[in-house]
Amino acid sequence: MSKESRMRATINQKLTEMGERERLKELLRSKLTECGWKDQMKAHCKEVIKEKGLEHVTVEDLVVEITPKGRALVPDSVKKELLHRIRAFLAQHAT
Amino acid sequence: MKMEDMPLSGPDNTKLEALVHDIYSELVEDACLGLCFEVHRAVKQGYFFLDETDQESMKEFEIVDQPGVDIFGQVYNQWKNKECECPNCKRLIAASRFAPHLEKCLGMGRNSSRIASRRLASNNNTSKSESDQEDNDDLNDNDWSYGAEKKAKKRKSDKSQNSPRRSKSLKHKNGELGSSISAEAYKYSYNTGISYETLGPDEVRSLLTTQCGVISEHTKKMCTRSQRCPQHTDEQRRAVRVFLLGPSAPLLPSADTAVDNDSFDIPDGQTLLSRLQWEDSPDISPTDSASSKASTNHSDSRRPKKKKRTSLCLNSGGGGGGGGSLSGSSSSQSNISLVTKKKRPKVSAPSISSIYDDLN
Repeated sequence: MSKESRMRATINQKLTEMGERERLKELLRSKLTECGWKDQMKAHCKEVIKEKGLEHVTVEDLVVEITPKGRALVPDSVKKELLHRIRAFLAQHAT
Repeated sequence: MKMEDMPLSGPDNTKLEALVHDIYSELVEDACLGLCFEVHRAVKQGYFFLDETDQESMKEFEIVDQPGVDIFGQVYNQWKNKECECPNCKRLIAASRFAPHLEKCLGMGRNSSRIASRRLASNNNTSKSESDQEDNDDLNDNDWSYGAEKKAKKRKSDKSQNSPRRSKSLKHKNGELGSSISAEAYKYSYNTGISYETLGPDEVRSLLTTQCGVISEHTKKMCTRSQRCPQHTDEQRRAVRVFLLGPSAPLLPSADTAVDNDSFDIPDGQTLLSRLQWEDSPDISPTDSASSKASTNHSDSRRPKKKKRTSLCLNSGGGGGGGGSLSGSSSSQSNISLVTKKKRPKVSAPSISSIYDDLN
């Protein structure tokens, strides 16, 4: 197990060091905006805010409401592409 | 073998897959969190709901999704089937073709003149070429002899239509461009010439008083530029006049004896007599009018001066370059033409000095 955790740590480190993480983040953001996911989520936010009241809404409120829905609403194509890229990275850099 | 799409093989497989999914989840959560922060900030700063106004306005500008209209609710092919009656030819024209048709119909616009002159030229060419040149007014002003024109026409039709650039390669034929397409609206200027054979003696005379008139060797046309055109010398101009009008009437309005045009020397009696000949013509040569203008500027009391010196000039018997416009101001003399003669030298003398003063 520790081997595994060590491996994970190494991989994560590599991801960050080589800038791949940033690249993946940017890729995901642009893809989500393109496919309309961001607008969908914003509309949902509006509802939450109207529900909770404009003055009193907190970040936590939003996070709690948004994250599960957000994860579910990611289109399959975007998910597949990202997984594909991560696998490629691992295949290249895993020991 | 495509490794990327297949899960990695081996016992580490599941672990690696789990890792991949973990990394993926992390990325997605990151994106969601970023969105939350953005929205929260917008809410707190007050710009989150800026794109929403009251219900009424929202309804008004809603996106329209009906068939046959665009998203604004406008019918987009409304004018497709409409026909308009042309005010010129009274035909019914489709709406989308109306503007170009009007352009051609009224003879305005860039292409219409080109097409019209081309049609005219081709008609003239094909019908008969031995007829008088006088009949074809616009051809008169052009340089082409018919053979050259045909050649040029062929070249023109070889290229595509309707662009002013096209005739550029023909520009330098014989040094002058006189394409039959040449109409008013063209960018490049060119020298047109006139064939002296077609003009009568009076026309030749009037032409020669206003224009350079030197006959080009290649085209046998007279130069239509001004009397002072830089391409030809005064000698050439005089030779042309002698040739065209006979040796008795060299009609250069500027002085014959002087080489440069600026001076207004007193010509001898012969030219004075010849001036008398064409005094009747209302044409004023540009140099004459220019000089008279200059003289009017400098000598204010022109008229009294003229009257004073009349007697003197009768004796001197010379006339200088002067204004034809002076003829209007002549008075109190029995022989009007003679008087205008006298007036010239008067005016020229002060004008000469004033001109040189300016130069100095």
